[in-house]
Amino acid sequence: MTTAAHNNRLPLTALFGVLLGAAIMVAPLVWTLLLSLKSNSELMRDSSAAFSAPYTLENYRAILVGSDVPRWLLNSIIVSLGTTAAVLMLCSLAGYGFARLDFPFRRTLFVFVLLGLAIPEQAVILPRHQLFATLGWHNSYPGLILPGLAAPFGVFFMTQYFRAIPKDLDEAAMLDGASRLDVFWRILLPLTLPAQATLGVFTFLGSWNDYWWPLISATTSDKYTLTVGLAAAQMNYAQTSGLGFLMAQAVFASIPILIVYIIFQKQIVQAMAGAAVR
Amino acid sequence: MMERRVSGMVFVLPFIGLYCFLLILPFVMGLWISFHRADLFGSRHWVGLDNYVRLFADPVFYQAMGTTFTLAVLIVPALTLITLLLALALNRASRSAAIFRGLFFSSSVLSVTIVTLIWRFVLTPDSGLIAKLLTAMGIEPLPFLSDPNLTVPALAITTIWWGLGLPMMLFLAGLQQIPQDMYEAASLDGANRWTTFFRITLPSLRRTTILVIMLQTAAQLQIFGQAQLLTQGGPSGSSRPIVLYIYEVAFGRWELGYAIAAAEVLLLLILALMLAQYWLSTRGEEVQR
Amino acid sequence: MTSLSLIDVRKSYGATPVLDGVTLEMGDCEFIAFLGPSGSGKSTLLRIIAGLEMADSGEVWLEGKRIDALAPGGRGVALVFQQYALYPHMTVRENMAFGLRNAKVPNTEIAARITQAAQTLEIDQLLDRKPGQLSGGQRQRVAIGRAIVKEPKLFLLDEPLSNLDAALRNRTRVELAQLRQRVRAAVIMVTHDQAEAMTLADRIVVMNDRKIQQVGAPMEIYDRPANRFVARFVGSPAMTILPAQGHAASGGYAQVQLKNGTLIQTRVSTADLPDDGEIEIGLRPEHVTVTAPGSGTIDGEAVIVERLGDRTLVYARLDDGSEIVAVDRGDSSVRMGVRVGLQIDGACAHLFDADGTCHHAERDQL
Repeated sequence: MTTAAHNNRLPLTALFGVLLGAAIMVAPLVWTLLLSLKSNSELMRDSSAAFSAPYTLENYRAILVGSDVPRWLLNSIIVSLGTTAAVLMLCSLAGYGFARLDFPFRRTLFVFVLLGLAIPEQAVILPRHQLFATLGWHNSYPGLILPGLAAPFGVFFMTQYFRAIPKDLDEAAMLDGASRLDVFWRILLPLTLPAQATLGVFTFLGSWNDYWWPLISATTSDKYTLTVGLAAAQMNYAQTSGLGFLMAQAVFASIPILIVYIIFQKQIVQAMAGAAVR
Repeated sequence: MMERRVSGMVFVLPFIGLYCFLLILPFVMGLWISFHRADLFGSRHWVGLDNYVRLFADPVFYQAMGTTFTLAVLIVPALTLITLLLALALNRASRSAAIFRGLFFSSSVLSVTIVTLIWRFVLTPDSGLIAKLLTAMGIEPLPFLSDPNLTVPALAITTIWWGLGLPMMLFLAGLQQIPQDMYEAASLDGANRWTTFFRITLPSLRRTTILVIMLQTAAQLQIFGQAQLLTQGGPSGSSRPIVLYIYEVAFGRWELGYAIAAAEVLLLLILALMLAQYWLSTRGEEVQR
Repeated sequence: MTSLSLIDVRKSYGATPVLDGVTLEMGDCEFIAFLGPSGSGKSTLLRIIAGLEMADSGEVWLEGKRIDALAPGGRGVALVFQQYALYPHMTVRENMAFGLRNAKVPNTEIAARITQAAQTLEIDQLLDRKPGQLSGGQRQRVAIGRAIVKEPKLFLLDEPLSNLDAALRNRTRVELAQLRQRVRAAVIMVTHDQAEAMTLADRIVVMNDRKIQQVGAPMEIYDRPANRFVARFVGSPAMTILPAQGHAASGGYAQVQLKNGTLIQTRVSTADLPDDGEIEIGLRPEHVTVTAPGSGTIDGEAVIVERLGDRTLVYARLDDGSEIVAVDRGDSSVRMGVRVGLQIDGACAHLFDADGTCHHAERDQL
């Protein structure tokens, strides 16, 4: 990012504003981290104890041994990776189909898919809950994964990407004796890798952080995802074993997604901006 | 070489099938159920528009609508202004600017439950961070999560902290798209910093600003997790937004048909907002030509 | 032995015809250029030969085998795309090997062919790079290399020089001509650039308006264009065409009168010209020379003067408003706006009758 519009030095007031904002961003995080490193009994007396030693990893040990959190983490990983893999597959196939093949009702079907972009989750989540209840799909991995697969944005995104690849490449490959499947698999799909990364990270993040659906679909603790598990933990705060333990759960649950964020920062920003502008 | 062949459908059918089953079917079912007195366990009988009639006579529904709009009014302008200022300050090539951008965006990747967990113990009056800071300055701590006048602002602050990242990035993208030569031309014309900002930067960000405002409004109309987890909508429903109302009607009172009717009203609001955005941004283009 | 033959090939997109019955025979190892403006159907014809489009009717034969129903990969043709269409995710080597692998060519053979082609094209240093790391000229060579290793019976080149800058284009033109000597195969090149067609091709197929207008050797096309379109399209600057009245004259050759009354004696036989009818006369720039005002066949005013070094082109406006292109010496002193005389060499003039057919000066008389 470059600009010559502003002088390269930030004016003092702006610098002060940015630093103040950064402090407000960071303070709750540091506070949470400090709380998570204190023994529960000490915090019970006064949470100010968070500002001074001794610190301990006891809460984290308690998470790993004898809490449900690792189980929830595993569930979140299974659901998010499952959703991401399935979305990438479905959207790549459909994107290729819409961009490169002609079949009856192609345009109509594409418009039909685009209409889905206008339906917010609130309009479908309750009837879908009914539907899944009738089919007995709640409290299962498929029950948690399936709703994420109706992703019109992914199809739109992949279709646009396939369209941007010159058709010459398909034709060159056909002249090289490649079958349609070869063209898709060996020429076009490798070229969509950047789009796959963007859509994949976007889907993973959405699935990982989803709250509404797992909240109503996963009602037994063994199928909770991290978001629902942590929600239950904070609702039952009074009965749980303490503030430090609770905050350690928050930190523990943040670590995987922050790692994903640090690795895929570019894709995440791109995907979220792309989905917003669409 | 595009031959019209039915076999081409094979590529799109898996998605279309799931899409119909998981999105279109529930959508149609929802419209249908909203005309029924239906509970969560499958009993239904037709009541026509009765659910909608009841809804518009329900003071709790109006209260939830009011809370939702209050939240939107508190959050959207503040968020837009803050993220615009941040984008202007951080739109530079330096390494520190990149680090700050990453920092301000980082909260966006956290789930709502983590955010509320963090903020619960920032806001809570006995052991929270703000209480500790106020006490240290000799000020009486504020009961953010229990005073009806403070719960909605508390939700707004939490939401702004959580949602800064995306609008900031959208504004940054908008700033990057302003052609550099416009600034050069302006400086040759002797425009000072403020003139440049108000005559070039702001007008060029018009579309981005509309987008940010509309996206944020749509998002705040659907605010749910923060309210459910931080305040449980209380005290006495003062911080219960519309989606939490829908959730409580469906899963607390088991009145599915009534809950879905409320969801359809929300759908109409969101669609109206999308149309407004489309209208505003296309009209803007005509004016510019 | 014939290489490619096309028999009455037709194609339309919906109600819009794009090819109206094209028939063509190509000799063994012949280099043919399809020359025409965009929309003339030349690219569609190339794509039909390659198998990227299906003709509605007609037949395509290659070396005695009918190929119009075969898949593009099974026809024994190779196409060099205008934008090269190199696979961006593969190295140069993989690009060249892709088609051979699909054809189940043994690995040692693939390696040998790539090495050979890379040496010929001087791209052996680039084999492990990806297309994104190559310059335009290098990409072009790789695209040609990818075609060569397939050892096709027929090379198809789609506007091969259009993406190169002027200097590179001239060099590549020479290289294409040399390459042609080395590969034992027929070549079809589609182009809208007559200089490319004239310098490279054995024969030129001039296309316009969905049809073949003329097939012939480059100089034949230039000297004896079949009709008004070919006459105007081939040659730069274009042939001047002026309206005239035809008059029969002694010796069986037509004499024509320009609008201002000037008489020009041609060497075109009157035998198949309409009697005294409306006619047009066509003059190549080199057959009109600049002289002092009043001393030539006709006078005009110099409107544009293009100095090319070895000669000067003078665009002159006649008194009736029509324009004519003439040639003068390289050191011509003619300036814009001055009056000049124009000496017309009527013996080289072409005549066009009402339906556009071109009648030529009789050659044995020249």
